Amino acid sequence: MIIEERSSTHVYKQKRMLSKEALAAVESLCVHEQPAYCVAACPLKLDAKALMAAVARGDWAGARGIYEKVTPFTRLLSAGCEAPCESKCRLSSLGDGIEIREIERAVARFGEKAAAKGLLRFKKKKTVALFGSGLFSIFLIGELARKAYPLTVFCAEPDLKSFMARETGFMDGEALAAETETMAALDVDFRFSTNLARMDSLRAGFDVCCASAGAARQAWPGARSDERIMMFREENLVMGCEGGVTAAAFGAKKAALTVDRLAQNLDPCNSRGEEGPCSTKLYTSTEGAERLRKVAAGPEGYDKTGAESEAGRCIQCRCEECIKGCAYLRHYHKFPRILTREIYNNVSIIMGDHMMNKPINACSLCGQCSVTCPNGYDMGEICHIARQNMVATDKMPLAPHEFALMDMLFSNGEAFLCLPQPGYEKCRYVFFPGCQASAVAPETVKAAYKDLCSRLSGGVALMLGCCGAICDWAGRYEMYGETVEFIDEKLRTLGSPEIIAGCPSCKKELSAHEGLRVRGIWELLCELGLPEGAGRFERPAALHDSCGARGDAETQRAVRRLAEMLGCRLVDTDYSGDRSPCCGYGGLTAYANPQVAREMTQSCLQRSGEPYISYCMACRDRFAREGRESRHILELVYGTAAGAPPDISRKRYNRLNLKRELLKELWGQESEKVEREYKLEFTDEALEMMDRRMILESDVYAVMDGLRETGEAVYDSETDYLIARRRLGNVTFWVKYREKEDGYVVHRAYSHRMNVVQRQG
Amino acid sequence: MEKNYYTIDPLGKLSCAKCRVPLVKGKAKFMYLDNGFPVELPVCPVCGFVYVPEELALGKVLAVEKALEDK
Repeated sequence: MIIEERSSTHVYKQKRMLSKEALAAVESLCVHEQPAYCVAACPLKLDAKALMAAVARGDWAGARGIYEKVTPFTRLLSAGCEAPCESKCRLSSLGDGIEIREIERAVARFGEKAAAKGLLRFKKKKTVALFGSGLFSIFLIGELARKAYPLTVFCAEPDLKSFMARETGFMDGEALAAETETMAALDVDFRFSTNLARMDSLRAGFDVCCASAGAARQAWPGARSDERIMMFREENLVMGCEGGVTAAAFGAKKAALTVDRLAQNLDPCNSRGEEGPCSTKLYTSTEGAERLRKVAAGPEGYDKTGAESEAGRCIQCRCEECIKGCAYLRHYHKFPRILTREIYNNVSIIMGDHMMNKPINACSLCGQCSVTCPNGYDMGEICHIARQNMVATDKMPLAPHEFALMDMLFSNGEAFLCLPQPGYEKCRYVFFPGCQASAVAPETVKAAYKDLCSRLSGGVALMLGCCGAICDWAGRYEMYGETVEFIDEKLRTLGSPEIIAGCPSCKKELSAHEGLRVRGIWELLCELGLPEGAGRFERPAALHDSCGARGDAETQRAVRRLAEMLGCRLVDTDYSGDRSPCCGYGGLTAYANPQVAREMTQSCLQRSGEPYISYCMACRDRFAREGRESRHILELVYGTAAGAPPDISRKRYNRLNLKRELLKELWGQESEKVEREYKLEFTDEALEMMDRRMILESDVYAVMDGLRETGEAVYDSETDYLIARRRLGNVTFWVKYREKEDGYVVHRAYSHRMNVVQRQG
Repeated sequence: MEKNYYTIDPLGKLSCAKCRVPLVKGKAKFMYLDNGFPVELPVCPVCGFVYVPEELALGKVLAVEKALEDK
């Protein structure tokens, strides 16, 4: 059986993955990039969160740099700011919010000023005049100097000191002196002792004219400022406002933007962006916030140590709920919004490299993020749609999923079994253990089936096969449709019985078929009670909820009840129930990206040092492969330890052998066995290598069969190996072997997907 | 000059087990997803068996496969 490889890389098909609106709707669910509460509350857009982080790590120069982005007059701002941020601090709902303003004062006092940039800044061509003094004027000078306007300030005061003292009486002498020095360092042309009533004539020759509220009213008594754009429209005058330090600083920011627009002869009302405080949709968990009481400041404010300690209480508000629980998102270190956008772009690329194919195929589609995210962002759904889209546009490489898909075809082909209970034609139930149960723990499947037959009336049929999850996860929607039809058809031959699923993922998949009744074997066992010979497990154990049982409270409850009946002492772990992470098997991660899958498994196991009990055989297998004591709940129920995890060939053998044994024991049918004329031996190195390289023993047998037909092989005198090869489907397999009397010893095996041919000329 | 993406010389240590002759450096081509790469590999001068060494299969060939799969 062959699955067709994608066609030429030179065939270009395109299909939209999501509409623009749908993409925007999905992206808006991710709040990771939303501003922190304190930042959103600040009309001046001070990044208080970054400021706290800089102070906490003792980076005073960095902190000062952040603060100076708002204004060069940091002493003035910190002395008079009303600090709307403080009441919004997330910690204020639990205890004391961070003393942001006091820390800002410390930054203004202790933060070393960065050395002036060496590059000469060219002044703008448009000139600006500013009339009047006061807080608004000081902040506006700071804004306009930064924007490099040639600025002339006309004021009534006789000198700079008295100009700076106007409306700044709340500052102490030292701060005032410092800010006067800051002002003196700016390249501004001051015209002191000016009669401001002459404003109308003095403004001639300037491109833009600004005035404090007082100065404007001195010239035009009825002047009123439109506070949205800080303008007295009738006189085309940028006009200040009254109010405290925060209002003045905010007014100056708006005024500076208006100056920009007027200087370019543009309407000051347009293209202003978002000004002032904004709302934020950020979510931040306060779990683990410890220091809820503020560090007391002295009468002079904080010293450096005090400020660093207080800033260290900041929990740096951010939403990381998804990434905390998901090894996949941690591996790529991307938040869902960014990841979705990159995947969307990746799918839209017609020619060139698709850099996001790997991340698309590495997600386990487990849906954990849809539960941990406060807004229910489902990254798995995005990756699933992207996979289906890649299949539809023929961009999905077969390599990441071929082994799993072939394994599914094996489960539903050679290893498939569907029979009514002996003595019945139609059955009331059918046991569907799932492909991994037959592969990992065939004895458990056998015991479970015999138990169900003996304790249920109406006949229990058996169906050994794959539910179709494999091709669903691979995005192969056509194959999935065929599998659904295949299973439904087989079920009809059994009289459409109720399905008893042995695997939560099968239960989930089969429940999606129209008209099927499905329940988990664990629920049934809770009703029936434990069978004779049930094991006991009286040690503490961690229960790992299967990702297939997410949102399936019945299953989660029944399994816990069953564990209790078995004497298990379950220990609580983080991320249990609906929040459970995937073991690494889901979504075919284990095939497409073994490294990420391993990180997922390890992340699951970090939750507890106890043995793990699970109710999905794939979880059981992956935990055991990581060396942890791992039991499937049915192994305990039936006292059938499955032992060490089987390799990929053993998993196939187990399925086939289970089918043969059951056919013989219960239905009295003998299966044909393929007898070969030669014997194959595998060295341990070869077996380990084959498991790692996804090469089955049956592939090696096929190579050797080919060798015996054609006699084609290469001899390497250096290693004394003979080397044979055969193309099977989309892959060429190579086997390094030595001959012996009755057959061969296989030492190494490898494969490649490229086809190699001889060429002429 | 004719382009070759990869050249390897058998250096006398490889021979064809069927034809009992040493493999020689010969012209071959890798094909994948409708892309071709001319290479020089150890080839049997009699039956034309093309040998792909393990290091090549797991090294350069795998890298090119992965790159092409994401085109």
